[in-house]
Amino acid sequence: MRRALIVDDSPSMRQMVGFTLRQGGFDVIEAENGQDALQKLQASVVDLIITDLNMPVMDGITLIQHVRQQPAMKSKPILMLTTEGLAAKKEQGKAAGATGWIVKPFDPDKLLLTITKVLP
Amino acid sequence: MKGSSNRFPNGAWSSSPTHIAIEDDGSGVEAELARYLPHLSRMSVQLKQTSTQIENSVVDVCISFQGIAERARQTVARTTGFLGHQGNEHSGKRSFEGLLDSCSETLVKILKTTEEAGEISRRAIERIQQMDKASQSINAAMRQLEEIAKGNKILALNARIEAARAGSHGVGFAVVAAEVISQTERSQKVNAQVGDLIASLRSLASSTLDDLRQMNEQGQRRMEECRLEVDNSLHDLQAAHGEMKEMLTGMTEEGVLLANEIGSAVRGLQFQDRTSQRIAHVIEDLDTLHARLVDRFGSSAVVEAASDKGFSNYTMHEEREVAGIGEAESGQGDVELF
Repeated sequence: MRRALIVDDSPSMRQMVGFTLRQGGFDVIEAENGQDALQKLQASVVDLIITDLNMPVMDGITLIQHVRQQPAMKSKPILMLTTEGLAAKKEQGKAAGATGWIVKPFDPDKLLLTITKVLP
Repeated sequence: MKGSSNRFPNGAWSSSPTHIAIEDDGSGVEAELARYLPHLSRMSVQLKQTSTQIENSVVDVCISFQGIAERARQTVARTTGFLGHQGNEHSGKRSFEGLLDSCSETLVKILKTTEEAGEISRRAIERIQQMDKASQSINAAMRQLEEIAKGNKILALNARIEAARAGSHGVGFAVVAAEVISQTERSQKVNAQVGDLIASLRSLASSTLDDLRQMNEQGQRRMEECRLEVDNSLHDLQAAHGEMKEMLTGMTEEGVLLANEIGSAVRGLQFQDRTSQRIAHVIEDLDTLHARLVDRFGSSAVVEAASDKGFSNYTMHEEREVAGIGEAESGQGDVELF
């Protein structure tokens, strides 16, 4: 079973994304910010990361920058899931190493479809 | 107070973020503003609590959805396992379809065995009939032996007559003739006994033949009845199985619809995330405004004015607690009869 890490400071968003991914057959790990996600990644191998942008302690862009420095995570898909839709922010995400950008609210079917496109 | 140009003609304030300068003109505007400062921090706390409560509710709803979807999935999986080909791998139980196939195979084997028994019975009847024909041939041969014995007896009698005519020369021949008669009579007796035994055997064979025929006919009839009964039962079971499969298909389709509806609900519930973020931004602005006003007027003014207003429109315990007017009261869901 493939494993996904969901990073969002909102418990309800983690629940909703987690629900969608479990329905799609994923094992799900949750983290409430970038720092927490990095700790979780030390203990678990994941196939996919879905992260929010604006979070306390460590934001999504910084998280991606850290994650991309890990050899095992260089080619793993990382999707940004955020209410932010500004082109400049998207460029920042792309430069940091994000695989894709989804603006909330997300459609569960579309999210799963997007994931199948980015997963090898 | 400056900035009256920000009012619309109907008297409402414009929402445009225009800076409004406040100058103390000695008319008590600053004091009036300071009086409302505590409201800002309380509004901020109210908003935070409201946002958290909405968040918790949405989390609860999501957890419930997760449970509903999981139960629906498990129910369909169990029913599919029971009806389908694969059975339940974990419990080792066979599927309903597997049981049906097994019943059909067993029935075919039973019918085949019964047919084989019928065939053996039929061959036994044929052999007994062949034995009966053989015993008829034996009877015919025995009748010939009887005729021969009768001929021998007549021949011996004639020999005795000829021996008497020969006088003393025929005495020895008369003894031989008498012995021939005696032996012939003995052979006739043995012949008669064999005839009786064969008649007895034919009688037994005839009874056995009747029993076998009866048994064979009953067996065939019963087998046909059983075949019809089992065929009907299997047909009914297969029809029931078909109906159950249709129901399962319906359940699976319902499950897909349920999942889609939950998906729509999940999409709808995300309003909370957006609302929470907007509330968080409002809270930040309120906190900033509060901090700036405290800097401007000093915290002493805030403290002095803190209990100035009554918050009479607050109805919930949490609201009154934030306003500093909390007191012992019933919790959510408590019932009190008067």
